[in-house]
Parts: sequence; C-alpha cells; structure tokens
Amino acid sequence: MKILTILFSFSFYSVFAGGFQINMQSHKATGMGGAFSSICSDASSLFYNPGGMANLKGHQFTLGGTLISPAVSLRTKVYSNIDQTSKNSTPIHFYYSYRLKEKLNVGFGVNNQFGSSSSFEDTWQGRYIVQNISLKTFMFQPTVSYLLHEKISVGAGFVYTNGIFTYNKAIPVSSATTDYGTARLKGSGNSVGFNIGVHSNVYEKQGEKWNTKVGVAASYRSSLNLKLKKGTVEFADIPVSLQDKFPASQKFTSELTLPAVFTTGFNIKFTDADKYSIQFVYDFNYTFWSVYDTLAFDFENELTPDSKTAKEWKNSPTHRVGIDFTWKEKYSLRAGVYADQTPIQNGFVSPELPDNSHVGVTLGAGIKINETLSADFSFLRSSFERMNASLDAEGFTADYRRIVNVFGLGINIKLDKNEKKKESAPSID
Amino acid sequence: MNKIIFFTSLFFVVLLNSCKKTQFSDFEPNTGTADFTNYISVGNSLTQGYQDEGLYEATQRNSYPALLAAQMRMVSPSMKTFVQPLAQGNGSGYRHLKYINGKIEVVSASDPGGYAADATWSNWGTQSAPGFYSNLGISGVRLVDCVALNTEQATINNIILNSINIPGFGSFGTNPFSRFLSFGQPPNTLTYLDHIKQSNATFFTCWLGNNDVLGYASGGGQDMTVAQMVENILGFPVPPFVLPPNIANYKAVGLSDPEEFRQKYDSVLLAFTSRGAKGVCATIPDVTSIPLFTTLTPDVIKEKLGVAEVWIQDGNSNVRAMTNDDMVLLNAITNIEENKHGNSAGNPILHTQVLDYSEVAAAKNHTIILNNHIKNTAKKYNVAVADMYEYMKTFEKGMKVDGIEFSVKYIEGGAFSLDAVHPNQRGYALVANEFIRTINQFYGSNLPLVETGKYKGIIFP
Repeated sequence: MKILTILFSFSFYSVFAGGFQINMQSHKATGMGGAFSSICSDASSLFYNPGGMANLKGHQFTLGGTLISPAVSLRTKVYSNIDQTSKNSTPIHFYYSYRLKEKLNVGFGVNNQFGSSSSFEDTWQGRYIVQNISLKTFMFQPTVSYLLHEKISVGAGFVYTNGIFTYNKAIPVSSATTDYGTARLKGSGNSVGFNIGVHSNVYEKQGEKWNTKVGVAASYRSSLNLKLKKGTVEFADIPVSLQDKFPASQKFTSELTLPAVFTTGFNIKFTDADKYSIQFVYDFNYTFWSVYDTLAFDFENELTPDSKTAKEWKNSPTHRVGIDFTWKEKYSLRAGVYADQTPIQNGFVSPELPDNSHVGVTLGAGIKINETLSADFSFLRSSFERMNASLDAEGFTADYRRIVNVFGLGINIKLDKNEKKKESAPSID
Repeated sequence: MNKIIFFTSLFFVVLLNSCKKTQFSDFEPNTGTADFTNYISVGNSLTQGYQDEGLYEATQRNSYPALLAAQMRMVSPSMKTFVQPLAQGNGSGYRHLKYINGKIEVVSASDPGGYAADATWSNWGTQSAPGFYSNLGISGVRLVDCVALNTEQATINNIILNSINIPGFGSFGTNPFSRFLSFGQPPNTLTYLDHIKQSNATFFTCWLGNNDVLGYASGGGQDMTVAQMVENILGFPVPPFVLPPNIANYKAVGLSDPEEFRQKYDSVLLAFTSRGAKGVCATIPDVTSIPLFTTLTPDVIKEKLGVAEVWIQDGNSNVRAMTNDDMVLLNAITNIEENKHGNSAGNPILHTQVLDYSEVAAAKNHTIILNNHIKNTAKKYNVAVADMYEYMKTFEKGMKVDGIEFSVKYIEGGAFSLDAVHPNQRGYALVANEFIRTINQFYGSNLPLVETGKYKGIIFP
C-alpha cells in the first residue's frame, strides 16, 4: 500500500464531469466521451461497471496515465487578466481482473476518482479566499463479478479511499511590518464505500452481413465521507496581539463527502466479420453533488473563528455519447462528446474551481499489437468561453475562461491462454 | 502501418490546435464621456485623507482622491499630476494601537508613547494660490463655511479658514487643516469657492456636507456660537469689543440650515460645471451608524460599570436612564472607566457625550434632508451621485470584498480607523471603489477598481 501511495503521489486536477470528479479511468472510454458502463471490454470495468467484469477472460490488466493541462484565466473589475498558476497533473489508474472460476471474476483496482489542485500567485487579488488548494484521493477497490445468466452479470467492489487535503489562504490582518497573515491547512482522512453494477448483453443477432450486439448497464458508486480528523493549521505573519486568536499551530477537523454516482447506459455494436465494427455508446451519469453543501473547518482553539463556507452544490446529470470504429479488430478510432451540467450554482462559484455547464469533446485511437497487448490514446478538451460568475459569500466576482486539455495513454494486457483451452469445452448452460 | 501514421498525426494536429490560451487581452481603456485631464477633489477630512484622529503623509498618499487619480491615470495617461498637501511623518499626530499586558489599547497622539505631531507640523501648509493643489479637502470644514452668501458670512468664513503664518513660530488659525490654501489677506480675501473656480477642473469629486451634521452629532447634539466656542477655549466670556455681535452669534457648530446648504451646494456645482467640468457628488453617510456612536451600547456600558442601569444627561440636561435609542459617544470611555460616569443618577454621562434619542432623530432626519438637496442639485447640473449613505448601510449588515469581511464595529470591523469616524486605508479603498463604480456607470468609462486587499486595515501591534 505504501509503495502505491508513493507511486500515486502526484497532484491531480479535475475540471470535467463537473466539480472535481476525474472520469478518465480508461483511455478507451475517454475516447468515447467517457461512456463505458455498457461496454466493459477491459479491466477498467472495475470502475465503470463492476457488473461487466465477469465478461473478461483470463488475467486482464489495464493501466494508464493521464496528463491534465489546465488553463484558467480571470478578469475582475480590478485586473484585466489574472491567470491561475495551476500545474499540470498526472493521475493514473490500474485495474486487474481474473476469471477465478467459470462465471466468477475477481479483480483489484487503484485510481484517483476525485481530485483538484489549483493555485494562484500568493499575492493575487483573491488571496483572502484562496492561494492554493488541492485534494488528492486514492481509491483501492477489490471487486467480484458474477455471471448470473448467459446474458446478465453483476458485480460489487469494496472501495477504500484515502484523501489528502491542503488549503492555503491569506488572513486579512496587518501589522506595521506585515501586510497579511497566512493560514496553511493540511489534513487527511479515509473512508469506505462500494461500487456495484449490473451488465447485460441483452441482444445479439447474426444477420446476413452484420452481427448486431446490444449491451445495457447500470451502476452505482457510493458516496465517500472523508473525515479529516487530525488536520493541522499553521498561521504565520500574525501580529503579536492576535496570536492567541491565530496561534502558530493547532489542530482542526473537517469533513468532505465525495458524491455518489449513478450511471446507466447502452451500446450497439455492428460487426462485419473480419472487416470492421462500428459501436455507438451512450451513458447517463447522475452525480449526487448535493452532499457538498458546506465546507467547514472546526478549529481546536476556541478563539480562532471557525470557518464555514456554503457550497450548496446541486446534483448534476451528464450525458455522454461516443462512437468507435475498429478496422479488422486491430485499429480503432474513437470520438465522443459529453454534456455536463455544472453542480455549482451562480453565486457560489469559487475562483479555484470555476465551472459552467459545457460540452466536452473527446477523441481516441487504439491499436491491438497482438493478442496480449493493446494500447489506447485519448484526448479530451473541456472549455468554456467567458462566464461571469460570483462567489457572493466572499464578495468576489469575475469573468472566467477555461481550457483544459487532457492527454491519455493506456495499455491493456490479456493473458487468457487458459481460457482458450477451456473454450473448446462445452458451456455449462 | 500507414493508418497508424495517419491516426497518430491526426491526433497530434488536434493536440496542437487545442493548446490555446485563456488570457483576457481585450481591455481597452475608456474615459467615456468624462475628461480626467485635470481632476480636482473638494471635501472635508474624508477627502483630505484624515484617519486615526490625524492627518499624516502615509494615509494622505492613499486618500480616496489619490486612489481615484491613480485609477484615472490608467485610462487617461496624460492626466495632470494629482498634487496633495502632504503632512510629513506623523503630521498632526495620530492614534495607534499598543499591546499592553495582553490587551490591545488605543494610544492617542497626546498620550505617553503616542504618535505626537511631527516637528514639521506647525509649519505645514504653503498657503498656495488657487490652481496649485488638486486635493482641496479640508478636515473639519462644513459646506456652509466654504461659500458665503453675504459679506458677514465671507468675513466669518475667512476667519475660520484663514491662518496667519508667523515665521519661526508657525501657522495659527481656527482650522489648521486649511493652511495649505491661501485665503488672502483682508480686504483681498480668497474664498474656497475661488479655489474651486480657478482650479480649471475637467473632472471633480465633491464630498462636502458631512460636517454639517457630524459636528452637531459628535458634540453630543450641541449647537454652538462662535462666542460660546471661544468661551469654551478661554474659560471666560469674550467682551463684545473684541468679538462683534454678528460674528459672536454665528452658529459655528450645529446642523446647517437646509436652505442655506442647498444654495451653497448649488454654488459649488455651478462653479465647477459652468467651467465645463464633469464630476461626481457624494451623499452624507448616516453619522449615527459609525463606531463613534455604535460602540458604547447600554449593554457594553452596564458591563463596564457593573450596574443594571446607565444614567445619562439628555440634550436638555435632564438626568434619566439610558434607552437603546440613546447613543453614548466613544469619547465618553475615559469618563466611564475612570470617573464611573453613568453609574448613578448623581454621576451621569455628560450631555456633551450623549446623543439622546431626539438628537439621534434630528441628526438622521437632517442627513436625509441634506442628501435630498445634494441629489437634486447634482441632477440639476447633470452630475453623478455616489450614494455613500446607501453604501454605508451595507456595512451595517456586514459585507465581504475579495474575502475580507467588513462591519461597522470599532477596530474589529476593519473599515474604520481608530478615531471611529474616518475609514482606515482599506476603508478608503472601498470608498474609492464606490466612486469608481458611480463614475463608470454614469460616464461610461471603465476605470479599474482599486484592489481593496492591498491596503492595510487596522494596524495591529
């Protein structure tokens, strides 16, 4: 576990799928607008729909890395342009599925499902709201999936999550020699939850020319309640007379609930034997963001004013459509779009995470190098042009412009020699 | 293989095209229908940059007119330099905070360890001719002192504003803060209005009128004639041959007559606009909402004295129990703490330190009347109005700007300086921004706002 934590200690940034959810958990999926719950053709079904994992043969691995490159600019009534200084981030994912028995698969996954990291120059106009903030989460998910019926499989995963939260801001108190104080908060917590799903290859027909397959799916990832129990806050540059109010170091507690996500979707795949296949996919996500109603910090020292910020996020739907064109089961080209409704209401838009309902586009490509190895590339672009939004509780209003480019590379490894041997055996059904 | 190359290159073409910048680059400075070439500010202590019960260089540099001028320069780079009469170092002396025995204490300029007047202060003020200074704010001045409607008023105004400079001894006069302007020598006197007329302003801000209410309120609801004032200073009545009756009976402190106020406000705006200047007027904030009056509530005094009832002298010098509608001035704190004023009917808080409920109502009503005159006169001359009366109301509820919280609370509130009347640097930045919003809206200009958080609020020890 420790090794994994070190491996994954990058910073993560997310601005798609609304809020701070990171939805690029497979680059095959990302290429198709992130709609994958009904496809489940590789080990990333652990994330997208554990119910689909029972369809995977042998040992299968999916691992990938993502480069997220955000650019956010603001215009306020004071400054004609302010750029976020947020750095690129590189979340990764790893999934493993193994057909333990006929009809029964087990698997394990590690990923970063939520994350956000944004920063500004320390002296920027909104420094008393935020200087920089980041959330990193690591999800560890052992999963089982079972084929209930020839066409229906179910799956469930146990999710253990660990989150690290940091938040720096300026405190508006000055002395003769200091312009403002600073607060640095850092805390971590963990939580458990689950991920369940059902998947069905509901329809299959071999026509004269085309083989037509239809898959449907539904899945639900539970919310994760991260309790930051032993956070520490350090105040610096505080005038002497206020140090009993803002002591150099003290503990705080806080709580951050990562939302549940319900997904349902379907896909239709037309295959012209040995030549090419075309697959259309649609997913609907419903993210229960309303759990993010306040962000509160309760400080141990009674003199320190506790901080409570209303977030009032709303549950938010996302529609995703994608298409995959595969030539001779070897070369794939993918494209997708998603329409994301922001969970953030106007009046609650914070400069570190400006969000607006928007349409994102994705492109992808895949190549099957041999029976064992295949690789996928994906590109996602999420942007909006000039949104005017305010954070009323802090008295901050700005025009925002955002472009996020995401580049992804993933590989899939299939080791299903055993399965091949068994294939000749008669089916149990 | 060709396909791989095709897909890969397509992929990278898309990547490169998508690496677009998000920067906002379309800011075009715009003065709108205003002309900021020569900006002149008129007003009182608020305009002069007074805070912490003093006038000193550090805060004058960030007076709201100076802040406005800096923003105007951003859209009008060729504008005339904005000249202010800076009072070096500690200037007239000012209050500051000290941390003593675990408590934050206010130290006045005259207290031991206080920031006393600078050595240069007695010689401050160059008595400059009209057209030299851009910031014409004079601390303590009332609108009615600025314009004379008859020769009697002209004489009195000159006495109030003019000062004599005795080389080697410094300047002497009724109001030390007007020493930077020349008011001539009788019979060739100059008036404040002459300074306005000869300023050649293309743009002006006018925030006069506060002292036409505040002077009354901060004296506990007192009217005072010149004779009474002099008597208070000297301790004995001045014989009539020294002070002619027409001057002796002039009401130097008190609520200004509304009609007189209207006429004089009209003269000021006429002086500016008839010479082509455009500008903005500001209304008078509700003086009873400032910490000078809101800090010592009955509950606070009861706790300090450990009594169940606080005794005050009302405006008619009748002794009675304090109600929630009466206001005790923050100045009374020393008498309360040291002399236990208010603890019994025999030891009430002095009427000069109490604004009783009828005086509160008088001050409030008078403010509304004068503000109506300000707004109507501004409308007459097609001049914008920054409604500081309404803006101050937002402080009463508490508000935030860029994450900084403000309220009308003394010290903690963050907007007022240690004198409980004037804003601090950060508060003046808020004032400047309210002017800018008004100017932009009225004249279609796009002056950037001032960054409030860049200026210090209360300077804590």
